[in-house]
Amino acid sequence: MMRLVLTALLLTLMSSAAFAETTPLTDAEMVALLARIDDQQRNSGDYKALAFIEQREKDKEKIVYEAVIYRRDADDKLMILFVRPKAEAGKGYLRVDDNLFIYDPSVGKWERRTERERIGGTDSRRADFDESRLAEEYTPAYVAAEKLGKFDVHHLKLTAKDGVDVAYPVLELWIDANAGTILKAQDYALSGRLMRTAYYPKWRKIASPSSGREIYFPEEIRIYDEVEKANQTLVVMRKVDLDPLPANMFTKAWLESQSR
Amino acid sequence: MSVLIAMAWRNLRQGGRRTSLLLAALVAVTGLLVLLMALSNGVEASMVRAATSLAAGHVNVAGFYKATPDEGFPMITETSRIKSIARERVEGVVDVVDRHRGWARVVGPSSSIWAALYGVEVEQENRLRETLRPAPLSAYVDDVDPARADERPGDLSKLGEPGTAMLFAAQAKRLGVQVGDGLTLRTETLRGQSNTADATVVAVMDDLGLMSNWSIFLPKQTLLDLYGLDDDTTGAVMLYLDDIERAPDVMAELRAVYADEGFEVLEHDPRPFFAKFQTVAGQDWTGARLDLTTWTDEVSFLVWVIAAIDSVSFLLIAVLTGIIAIGIMNALWIAVRERTTEIGTLRAIGMSRRRVLVMFLAEALLLGVVGCLIGTVGGAVVALTLDALSIPIPAAAVQAILMNDRLHLVIEPLELVTVVVGFTIVCGLSALWPAARAARMPPITAIQVHE
Repeated sequence: MMRLVLTALLLTLMSSAAFAETTPLTDAEMVALLARIDDQQRNSGDYKALAFIEQREKDKEKIVYEAVIYRRDADDKLMILFVRPKAEAGKGYLRVDDNLFIYDPSVGKWERRTERERIGGTDSRRADFDESRLAEEYTPAYVAAEKLGKFDVHHLKLTAKDGVDVAYPVLELWIDANAGTILKAQDYALSGRLMRTAYYPKWRKIASPSSGREIYFPEEIRIYDEVEKANQTLVVMRKVDLDPLPANMFTKAWLESQSR
Repeated sequence: MSVLIAMAWRNLRQGGRRTSLLLAALVAVTGLLVLLMALSNGVEASMVRAATSLAAGHVNVAGFYKATPDEGFPMITETSRIKSIARERVEGVVDVVDRHRGWARVVGPSSSIWAALYGVEVEQENRLRETLRPAPLSAYVDDVDPARADERPGDLSKLGEPGTAMLFAAQAKRLGVQVGDGLTLRTETLRGQSNTADATVVAVMDDLGLMSNWSIFLPKQTLLDLYGLDDDTTGAVMLYLDDIERAPDVMAELRAVYADEGFEVLEHDPRPFFAKFQTVAGQDWTGARLDLTTWTDEVSFLVWVIAAIDSVSFLLIAVLTGIIAIGIMNALWIAVRERTTEIGTLRAIGMSRRRVLVMFLAEALLLGVVGCLIGTVGGAVVALTLDALSIPIPAAAVQAILMNDRLHLVIEPLELVTVVVGFTIVCGLSALWPAARAARMPPITAIQVHE
């Protein structure tokens, strides 16, 4: 009898899981899905990664930037330090509270930038390297249950909540129905024009010592500029490290010291 | 006196080759000076024209709006009130227009550029319509049909229609667009959200030097929509005066008027508005504050061009003037030596020392007047001819520096008089020492020298 109950329960769970892959989600389920996406990328401790950002633009040489990303999500802190090419080495971004600052060692000056800054002039944004806050920042609407290649996906349209500081007021996401990871994202301007399409072909998991679980990070992001069609950016994340960082490193002084 | 002048004239004629060489040098230097001054005046005139058409009024009432202490936007509110105060409280204002300001990525079919956006109501923009003219197709279309090369398509008045844009030839060339083609403008609203606008090119105008490289004009409503702004906001209220020289006084007067009307007014900062973002962002206030400037403040980053031309001219003319002065002095030393007996005889028959001095000075002054007159008139004729020919400047870099796509020279009559008087005085001063030596010569010594 017990075996029968377990089998029935398992079948119910399996069928409901299979059903969920193709069935539209309710509002609550969509919010829960966004919260899950945010949560499975959230690390309660520190984060460090080496990012390679390759920018291709029409009639220009390809540029490959190498930058170290530092994050302390618990305090909403983010720092991006460029290490290559040589001309960019020492340049960095530092977010303190709601302010994003850029430091240029060639002139030794800090400048305040908008939170929506294009990082290093590429198509990547601060949000691409930062903690995911989809549930907090957007209201979802269901578009369709679709197939994206071999994946079953939920296609959601997200609209920014009032008063939230985001670069794109409307997003469309294609979310892997099984893994709960974003496979494709399209960002729209206020005018409704499609601005960029991003693909997330590789997600990796890494054990987080601080939270005691595994967290996801996109190992590769391919961003296509939809206005300047020839422009594209490839972001590759390597050497992700969740060990604690020095306590006082998220400061202007620390970032300045890296170029001395 | 007429006798002395007649003697000076005779002596100059007797000087032969020496006088001719000095005269030629004087003519060349004054002619060159007049040409350089005409070029400097031309650049200044082009700068005034470009600045007061494209970027600024004679006096500008602009400002910053800060929703938070850390971020300032170059815009003002209460535009209608600001405009009516300017019209009613200041004398000599002939025109008041307002323009929105923005900064965006402009994407064309072949490339994209960053550009300053100006949102205008074209029917109010008298100066813009008077100054700009459509560029020929040859200026921005590669491989244009020779039969159409001189065609100047486009109509600035169509800028009143929504979703249109006017740009300049160099920009059109870079973007690969012609009249009728579409552009996409890409920027962020004041709340930081990405936004775009599509615009059709209705006019491509002749370049106006450096400033036209980054200025694109759109209907005001297009900019309001792009930035999500209220109708009564604007970038700057631009005042045009009956006399541009009054701009600093009018600005000072307006500062007091607006403060009196209850507006917060920033301290005068003689820099263009885009150079003040960091300063304003670093100030601890929120809300709206006015920032008043003159046209020279808004183009202060270009004044170096005129300063550079004037400095090079000054250096060149100083060297040449020195050479001329030494030449005149030398020629008169020779004349004094050659005419020692004559001096002795004149002194012996009663000519006073002062008259001897005047005789030699008159010689130098006569040479100066004649040489400077010929050089100045010649230089002015050459300058006016070059200006009338409207010679195209082939290099884009030189166009940018001279702020014109054609050679433009301006002659100021008062400057010509100054050149003639100034150089004549230099000639007279150069002759002072040899003339004084001649005058001090005792008659007996002078006669003995000959014996």
